[in-house]
Amino acid sequence: MTTTAATANPDTHTGITNAKLGVWLFLCSEVMLFATLFTTYIVLRLSATTWPWGWDALNVPLGTLNTAILITSSVTIVMAYARAYDKDLKGFRFWMAATLFLSFAFLVVKGFEYHGEFSKGIWPSTSVFYATYFTLTGLHACHIIGGIIVNSTLLRMSYKKECWEHPLFLGRVEGAGLYWHFVDIVWIFLFPALYLI
Amino acid sequence: MSKASNAEHDAHRPNVKAFMIVFGALLCLTLLTTAVSRMHLEHAAAISVGLLIAVVKASLVAAVFMHLWGEDRLIHRILYAVAFFAVFLVSLPLMDAHLLTPLKTDRAPVASQHPDEGK
Repeated sequence: MTTTAATANPDTHTGITNAKLGVWLFLCSEVMLFATLFTTYIVLRLSATTWPWGWDALNVPLGTLNTAILITSSVTIVMAYARAYDKDLKGFRFWMAATLFLSFAFLVVKGFEYHGEFSKGIWPSTSVFYATYFTLTGLHACHIIGGIIVNSTLLRMSYKKECWEHPLFLGRVEGAGLYWHFVDIVWIFLFPALYLI
Repeated sequence: MSKASNAEHDAHRPNVKAFMIVFGALLCLTLLTTAVSRMHLEHAAAISVGLLIAVVKASLVAAVFMHLWGEDRLIHRILYAVAFFAVFLVSLPLMDAHLLTPLKTDRAPVASQHPDEGK
């Protein structure tokens, strides 16, 4: 531990709030989870005799749209944090609601994509490529649902005066933001790996 | 609020202008990676370009949106350790594919070991 770190936040032993340190350690475990899945993807792809091009097998325009939606939601949640930082309750609610709207939009677009594939008779059992695609995007969608639960809880808490004025509220918003940005980063790697290359 | 705590408050203030610049850069890079994928580059080049753009985008999100730029050194050290293990894990099959597997066998028999292969 450095002296600088200790003086940055004298209330903790590390200089970082326990909640923030906890969120980062949780994200580290998530990094290893997705690294394992990416390793599996590489093993399967290298050992396959053929591997379809994303443009032929998947709906790339919808995947691109979802990438834009997720990037925009990363901005809206960081704006929600900025508004909470300035104790602007109305601004916080607006940007957090926008984040939730974009989260649902991502799931709806993903639902259209899945529906298009199921209607063509494409299932995870169709091929190794589709098994990989449904596993990776399905797990990512589960993380989106987890983020929706956390973010909607924070939005609901902001309507209670004692929660909004609680000294730990800003840290909770920051933790939720870190998680949401991580989910965005995972998609940033999933999108080219499955759809483009 | 004292002058010292005011200064600390301002030092950690979210930089909205930086968020908007990164947002624009991320959207441009998304369009670029999609456009490049239509150019039918050689397989190795396509993977390299796609991976490079993804790394740049992820770095922007981590540095600016996740405030890693200027974050505490302890967080950086934890992330360096995780990055080392994650890269090591991902590089294992690549090392196997490029160094060991070509010496033992070729790709087709490896793929045909799967019970569903050839159905």
